[in-house]
Amino acid sequence: MSALGVLLRKELHATFTSPIAYAVGTVFLLITGYTFSLTLFLTKVANLTYMFHQMYVLLVLLVPVLTMRAFAEERRADTLELLLTAPVREVWIVLAKFGATLTLVVGLLALSGSYAMVLGLYGEPDWAPVYGGYVALVLLACLLIALGMLTSSLTDNQVWQRPWHSASPSCCGSLTPPPICSQLLAISSL
Amino acid sequence: MIAIEHVTKLYNQTPALRDVTLHVERGEVLGVLGPNGSGKTTLLRLLAGALSPTVGQLMVAGYDTMRQPMEARRRVGYVPEALPLYPHMRVCEFLTFMGRLRGLSPRVTATALARVSKQVRLQEVLTAPIRTLSRGYRQRVAIAQALVHAPDILILDEPTNGLDPRQIMETRHLIRSLAGACTIVMSSHILSEVERTADRVAILLRGHLLGVRALADTPDLEALFLSLT
Repeated sequence: MSALGVLLRKELHATFTSPIAYAVGTVFLLITGYTFSLTLFLTKVANLTYMFHQMYVLLVLLVPVLTMRAFAEERRADTLELLLTAPVREVWIVLAKFGATLTLVVGLLALSGSYAMVLGLYGEPDWAPVYGGYVALVLLACLLIALGMLTSSLTDNQVWQRPWHSASPSCCGSLTPPPICSQLLAISSL
Repeated sequence: MIAIEHVTKLYNQTPALRDVTLHVERGEVLGVLGPNGSGKTTLLRLLAGALSPTVGQLMVAGYDTMRQPMEARRRVGYVPEALPLYPHMRVCEFLTFMGRLRGLSPRVTATALARVSKQVRLQEVLTAPIRTLSRGYRQRVAIAQALVHAPDILILDEPTNGLDPRQIMETRHLIRSLAGACTIVMSSHILSEVERTADRVAILLRGHLLGVRALADTPDLEALFLSLT
């Protein structure tokens, strides 16, 4: 296993043994489950438009919770120096942290795929917007994780990072018409 | 083994080291002495590859730390003053992680783990989580992670800081036992520590290297330190 593999394994272990990951997962699945049930019973239409809308907002709010410790924690415990003096490239350290967080987020999105499976079992949803929506969410997650890691590398203060990070994609969204969620809605209604 | 040539390090235009030239021979123990803020830690971090010099050249085990950083880092074991450890890991997990990170195969890592745990006397706490260890054991774990890949050069920043007298003696004996097998550079602001452990002493003040003396030729280190600083 290469040094990148060793680093990724360590980050995955740290991510999946952290209570924060399970708290974030629980909140994410509870809220999306509620939205799915509510919209399905109210609209009786087999699509995930509102789910994607909801997941966009949830990712913006929850991904910073996962990324805020990435580098700030390493610096606080002085372990970053240990990694930086080991014979590994800095980009591997970043990629390992990015990969571990992305694995968790993709795992959560995959679990939310059970709602799509329910639609598939009991209805006839149009699958192309569903696939497109999930691809967009994975790309959004990549953007948010990258932003979160950037803010984590700039400051030791984990509390300060969250509003800054949550605000930045929101600002980007409001300045870029139409925002990603509107595009998802447009795709879903095709 | 170590060649530092006209090295200057600036932090935002503030010099931490100024035109330092220093050579350390294979198997030697060099003590770096100086008051707080004299540039000791900066010098050690430069040698470990955590920092790059603003001006000058550092050669570690024949490798330029700027041009061949990976090769240089493979030959260095570094113990920072703050004892960087992952508290959630067990001692054996942490040492295995550090060994694998430095390119050792799983089989070699297992052998190295047995060797360093015996060398640093960690056998009884190998399966303990690091967060449950005392300061003395944490210090040993930090030294063990620096030795796991059998480096040519060991860099110790204030290795006896915060230890009780017995632990200080044990650390001193450990450093002396490693001398010869690897080149050791250790910093301290305690004269007696350097006097009992090192072969030579380098004295720093406000980033300037004031002098390098063999301790065998220096009967009174305290007087020398006072006369230079």
